[in-house]
Amino acid sequence: MDMVGQTRRDGLSRREAPRYGTIFLLAVSFFMVVFSLYGAQASVFEKARESVIDTFEPVLTVVGAPVRWTQRRVGDVQDYFRLAAENERLRQENAELRSWMHEALNLREQLAYYETILDTKLPEPAAYVDARVIGENGGPYQQALILSAGGGDGVRNGSAVIDESGLLGHVVTTGAKASRVLLVTDFNARTPVYIEGFGAEALLAGRSTGRPVIEFFAERPQDAIPPGARVVTSGAGGLLPRGIPVGQVAGTSGGTITVDLYADTRSSDLVRIVDYAFPQDVDEDSGAAEQRTSLDG
Amino acid sequence: MAEPTRARSVLASVLPALALVLAVLLLLVPLRLFQGYVPTPLLPFIVIFLYALYDPDALPAPVIFAAGLLQDLLYGGPLGVWPSVYLLSLYLVTGQRTYFLGRARDVVWLGFGVVLLVAMLLLWAEMSILSGGWLPLWPAVYQFVITGALYPVGAYLFFYLRARQGVREEWQV
Repeated sequence: MDMVGQTRRDGLSRREAPRYGTIFLLAVSFFMVVFSLYGAQASVFEKARESVIDTFEPVLTVVGAPVRWTQRRVGDVQDYFRLAAENERLRQENAELRSWMHEALNLREQLAYYETILDTKLPEPAAYVDARVIGENGGPYQQALILSAGGGDGVRNGSAVIDESGLLGHVVTTGAKASRVLLVTDFNARTPVYIEGFGAEALLAGRSTGRPVIEFFAERPQDAIPPGARVVTSGAGGLLPRGIPVGQVAGTSGGTITVDLYADTRSSDLVRIVDYAFPQDVDEDSGAAEQRTSLDG
Repeated sequence: MAEPTRARSVLASVLPALALVLAVLLLLVPLRLFQGYVPTPLLPFIVIFLYALYDPDALPAPVIFAAGLLQDLLYGGPLGVWPSVYLLSLYLVTGQRTYFLGRARDVVWLGFGVVLLVAMLLLWAEMSILSGGWLPLWPAVYQFVITGALYPVGAYLFFYLRARQGVREEWQV
C-alpha cells in the first residue's frame, strides 16, 4: 500500500491551497487573447515588443553563443566528411555559373545600351544591411526570426529580408538594436509576387508549413502554371522592390499552387535587410510641363 | 555563517523563476535540431509541469503568467496566448496533484502527455481563431511528440538538481 501512496495523497489533498489566483490570471490571459483579436497591432503593444527585443538582444546573443559555436564545429566536421562530394558539386555549379555569368554580362551591356538610347530614369539601387539571426520562434505557429540589427542600423518596418538564395520575409518590429522578421511561411504572411512567363500577379500566403501557396487576387491565368515556374516579388504596394527571387512553383494540388522557396527558412544564419525606398518624389513642375507640351502638340 | 546560508536560500527561492526564464530564452535560441527539421521542445512547459507537481509554491501563478507574457512579447505574437496555455496547464496539474504524487514515473509521464495535449489543443484553437482560419494541426502534434520525448531528461535533471540542493521531496516524506 505504501507504493500506492494513498495515505500520503490523502494528507496532501487536505493541504491543497485554493487556486483562485490561477483562475483569475487565466481569465486575464483569455481576456488579453480576445483583446488581441481587435488590437494586436495597437501601438502600445508594438512599443512593448520593440522594448523587449531591444532589452533581450544582448541576452539572446550571449545565450545563443555556445549553440552557434557548437553548430559551427558540427558543420566543420560534416564538411570534412563530405569534402569530395562537395568539391564535385561545387565544380559543376561553378561551370554552370560561368556560362550564366557570360550571358549576364552580355545582357548587362545590351541593357545599358537600351537605357542610354531610351534615356531611362532608373530608381536608386537598394542598399543592404547585414545582420545575424540571434533568435527564432520555437513555437509551432509563429514563424519569425530576431535579427541583430535595428532602427539604429537603418532597418525599417516592411523592409525585405533575404538570404543568399532569396526572400525570407519582411521586418514587422523594429527596435533600436534588434528587429523581428515575419517569415513568408508564417500563416499571417502575405507577399505580393509575380509569376514569370505568365504575367500573373498574386499573393504568396504562408501556411505554417515549409511551402507557402499562391493566392490570385485577379483572374487566374488561362494556361496551367507548370512546376518550375519562377516566382519573384512584384513590388505591389511599394514595400518590397520588384524582382527579388522568392521560389519556384512546386506543383498544383486540388487547385492550390504550392511554392518551393529558394531561401532556407530553417537554417539561415546571416541575412541581408533590403533598405529600399519606393520612388515617391515626383517632380510636379516637370510633370505638368510635359502634360502641357503633349496637349499643345 | 548566517550570510552564506541566507544567500543560498535566496538563490534557491529565485532558481525556479530563473529556470523558467532561461527555458523561455532557450526556446528562442536558434538550436536548429537536425538542421531545423525538428522543432525546439517546449522547455518552459516541462519546467512548469515539474514545479506545479512537486513544488507548486516555488513557481506561483504570477511568475508563470509573467513568463508567458515575456514569451508572447519575444515571439511578437498576440498577447495572452502563452500565459493562457501555461496557466491552464498549471490549473490542470495542481488539480490532479494528489493523484500523481507518489505514482510510478511512467504514470506521471503519461499525465504529462495528457496535460501537454490539452495545452497544445488550446494553443492550436487560439492561434486558429486569431488567424481567422483553421491552422494545420500537425506542427502542434510534432512539438507535442518532441516535448513528450524530452520529458524524462527534464525530470531527471529536475530531481538531480533538487537532490544537490538537499531538497527532500514532499511525497517521499
